[in-house]
Amino acid sequence: MRMILLKLLRLVVVLLVVSFLTFWFGKLIGGNNDLVAKMIPFSSEQEKDRVREQLGLDKPFFTQYGSWLTNFARGDFGELYTGTGKNVTSVPVSEIVAKRLPVSLELMLSAQLLALAVAVPLGVFSAYKANSKFDRGANMTMFGLLALPPFVVALVLAIYLGAQWQWLPTQSDLPNFPLNPLENWRYLLMPTISLALAQMAIYMRLLRSDMIATLQEDFITTAKAKGIPPHRVLFRHALRPSSLTLLTVAGLNVGALIGGAVVIERIFKVPGIGGQLAASILSGQFIQTQSIVLLIAVFYVVLNFAVDILYSVLDPRIRHARAIA
Amino acid sequence: MPEQSPDSGEEIVRTLVADEQRHDLPADEPSLLIAAVEAGPEIAHNRRRRKGLGIGAWLAIIWISLLLFSAIFQPLLVSTGVIPDPEAQELPEISGTGEALVVAQPPSLGHLMGLNPRGEDILSLVIEGSRRSLVIGFVSVFLGFMVGGFLGLLAGYFKGRTGGFIGSLLDILLAFPQLILALFVVEVLGHTVTNVTFALAIVSTPVLARIARASSLSWSEREFVVAARAQGAKHRRVLWREVLPNTLPAMLSIALLGVAVVIVAEAGLALLGAGVAPDLVTWGNIIQTGVPELKDSPHIVLAPSIVIFLTVLALNYLGDVVRARFDVREAAL
Amino acid sequence: MSRRRRAVGVERFEPAPLDAPLLEVEDLHTHFRTGRGVARAVDGVSFSLERGRTLGVVGESGSGKTVLARSIMGLLPKSNVERTGSIKFEGREVIGATPDDLRELWGSQISMVFQDPMTSLNPVMKIGKQITEMLLQHLDISKDYARELALSLLESVGIPEADRRLKEYPHQMSGGMRQRIMIAIAIACGPKLLFADEPTTALDVTVQAQILDLLQAQQRERFMAMILVTHDLGVVAGRTDEIAVMYAGRVVEKAPTKVLFSELRHPYTEALLRSIPKLGAPSHTRLAAIGGRPPDIVNPPAGCKFSPRCPYARERCLEEEPPLIDTATPGHEFRCWIPVGTPENREALEANRAAGAPSALAVVGEGNGMGTAAAPSAPTPHTRSGSIDTKGGA
Repeated sequence: MRMILLKLLRLVVVLLVVSFLTFWFGKLIGGNNDLVAKMIPFSSEQEKDRVREQLGLDKPFFTQYGSWLTNFARGDFGELYTGTGKNVTSVPVSEIVAKRLPVSLELMLSAQLLALAVAVPLGVFSAYKANSKFDRGANMTMFGLLALPPFVVALVLAIYLGAQWQWLPTQSDLPNFPLNPLENWRYLLMPTISLALAQMAIYMRLLRSDMIATLQEDFITTAKAKGIPPHRVLFRHALRPSSLTLLTVAGLNVGALIGGAVVIERIFKVPGIGGQLAASILSGQFIQTQSIVLLIAVFYVVLNFAVDILYSVLDPRIRHARAIA
Repeated sequence: MPEQSPDSGEEIVRTLVADEQRHDLPADEPSLLIAAVEAGPEIAHNRRRRKGLGIGAWLAIIWISLLLFSAIFQPLLVSTGVIPDPEAQELPEISGTGEALVVAQPPSLGHLMGLNPRGEDILSLVIEGSRRSLVIGFVSVFLGFMVGGFLGLLAGYFKGRTGGFIGSLLDILLAFPQLILALFVVEVLGHTVTNVTFALAIVSTPVLARIARASSLSWSEREFVVAARAQGAKHRRVLWREVLPNTLPAMLSIALLGVAVVIVAEAGLALLGAGVAPDLVTWGNIIQTGVPELKDSPHIVLAPSIVIFLTVLALNYLGDVVRARFDVREAAL
Repeated sequence: MSRRRRAVGVERFEPAPLDAPLLEVEDLHTHFRTGRGVARAVDGVSFSLERGRTLGVVGESGSGKTVLARSIMGLLPKSNVERTGSIKFEGREVIGATPDDLRELWGSQISMVFQDPMTSLNPVMKIGKQITEMLLQHLDISKDYARELALSLLESVGIPEADRRLKEYPHQMSGGMRQRIMIAIAIACGPKLLFADEPTTALDVTVQAQILDLLQAQQRERFMAMILVTHDLGVVAGRTDEIAVMYAGRVVEKAPTKVLFSELRHPYTEALLRSIPKLGAPSHTRLAAIGGRPPDIVNPPAGCKFSPRCPYARERCLEEEPPLIDTATPGHEFRCWIPVGTPENREALEANRAAGAPSALAVVGEGNGMGTAAAPSAPTPHTRSGSIDTKGGA
């Protein structure tokens, strides 16, 4: 318990520093300090002044940081300003996030599930038949997949499945992100595959090598000597102790990919959070940038924490050691 | 199961993942890729007993040499007419109505990788682009290696306050999504080759630092290091003479994989429109210009993509070979 | 699924006539292909075991005793292993049986207690599950009943608060406790044959005797045959009906337990016996280690495999391998040209000593306080007791 509290404390400290850096970096995108001019370049000076006042940009740096952070903690992520001339409009960033985050999460989870669904049986079987032709073939294939950048997969899929054979819709075919389950699924299939392939290779190779080590353990011999059939020995006895690395990595990956799938989101024009963030950095929307970056960082760090806890649930030895400590 | 040498990459990454559990360090995507390449020794040293390099290693070396050769001698190749000038544009055909037809052409004998819509030879663009992409890849990893490797070495050796401080620093850097951080730096500093290199060096620093730390940690606890310190050797000497030389081979293997990751990252940035300015040719920019033409001329995207794939494959393979060779030496001791 | 398989298995392994021995091993060879060459871990072993009887298999590490046990079970790695000869369990050949058939035997008919209880239990599975899993696999019973059985099994192997222990993980228990659980698992389905592969080696000395007693008690109670594998003659002394001493993959001497200790003939058995610490000996008495290296099973010496380390070895021993020789006592056989306790043996020792052979000199040198067969002042050394030995060379 003490361990968990200490970890929580560390987590908070890291997040505070991250939030400060995020805020500071966010201000840098403006370049010449005139953040508003970059944000709404085509508005009149009058309008810009109004916005400046609204944002409190004249206040001291730390005051701004403080109010930004408290607002963030309350769930107020600031506003996204757009418009030309007199018509400066603003949308709450939280609304944008609420719309886009689920899309990214859906993509991420489906990619993880697909990757695991292939990698786990493949890794287990490869380890069981270590050094067989099957194992070598699978390993070689996965090694090749590792060298295949996701965007290359995405582009190739987009060229053939999308553009040339027209089996699956590409972004240009659909004006809006489909909510109808079947359409949604067809739409997300290509981005999912693009993200899943490399993950699959990572998972398969990590699981295989852990599994091979586990299969050498004495307790596996015990299980065999008990007359337990091979599939049970593999999946009930060997998989769980072998999957700790895998699950850690998979869990952390969901976090890493929330912001890391930007390129794939961009290629398929998936309206996810990563694409939104990239666009907002490039267009100088500093408020939105700050909030989304911090949101992703929080998500990521908290997820790490959760995976850490989960890890001890999976391995009773660790739980035990911690209970003592 | 033969005992793994403690600083084969796999072991390092395992330590890392275990470390993760102890310190809430986020695992980043590049580390995972590296972990996966390093996991499972079956690729490069399948036949370990045989001396010399396998055919795969030779193919990888040949490919990398070919790239380096053409990149270095690109001006010569252009001036002697071996490859067309990347600036040269083939004249567009004019249709009956006087309208210029698209001149993007699929690969042919004259143009092995075809032409882009501006009538430029893609092969010669790819060679031109390799000059920048390879520089970005190698230089940023070199910088990251110097700074990150040094920090990691210290953090692994001085486990106490120094290690904790560096560890927290890395935590903070790693809490940002990698590509976003790079994009951000480039956006603030400007879209030049130097800035992209710098941005990717910043991103690769914490990744390499964590790996160096894990390796340094495992070596710092070895008997001979402890013995050297017990004999009164100064920290600097122990680090320089005992720890560093032992961490180097594994780090070299990981640096090769790092170059591959960075080359992909450059292309990723370009695809976001956030890499090197579009008028400068890089592999990423060539792909980026091809994206709108996906349907009619997929070769513009495919040609550089295949080159990137082969380069990454070759670098991963060489990283694996370095590790395998190193393991053999370790096993022979 | 397990039920269907079991039905098939039952047909194939229907009980054999009761007069057939439970286990008959004939000319069993287990060879491993290694980088250096073929390792003959088990090299022509034959024996038979009746129901409810116990056999001790004794030898140093590398003698092939553990491999022998695993060969009989069929628990060897799949690749680079060659197993020939014949193993009949209840009159039916086990070598060449399908994996499915073997699984019917494993656990339910033949089971095994392993050396290290720290690593032999699944660390991430609760104890209860590890026991019931096996019961459910082999017996056609409900989960609740399996749990009850597991509970009574734990009680019968002497685990207090069995109810609570069922829900615990192995790491929460001591080594002795874990070995008790291994025993509970091994006897769960009422096997006819139990292998105990160095069951106490990894344990604290204070619990070793308890575990051995438990094994013995369970073996008698359930009328199981047992093969107890150990490097320590002391362990098998009072607990087995018969002992086979192994060296370099071969049985070098085999006899009913009492006979072995009173009439041992093989120099290796003698050496093993001498290496047991004796309670009567003064403290700090040097233990008689067996000189030389354990046998090389890849490139074994010509002739008698023990000859390089044998204090009595003569030319013949180096050239010609002795066959198994029967003695007057039924069931006692050994492989030696110059057996211990014969005049030739005395002569050989003296000749070797005169020639300055280290193995022969060592015997004399250690006569101090640990007098032995070879010590000149002990003419009839093999009267099965350690007490006279202490006076030997003094």
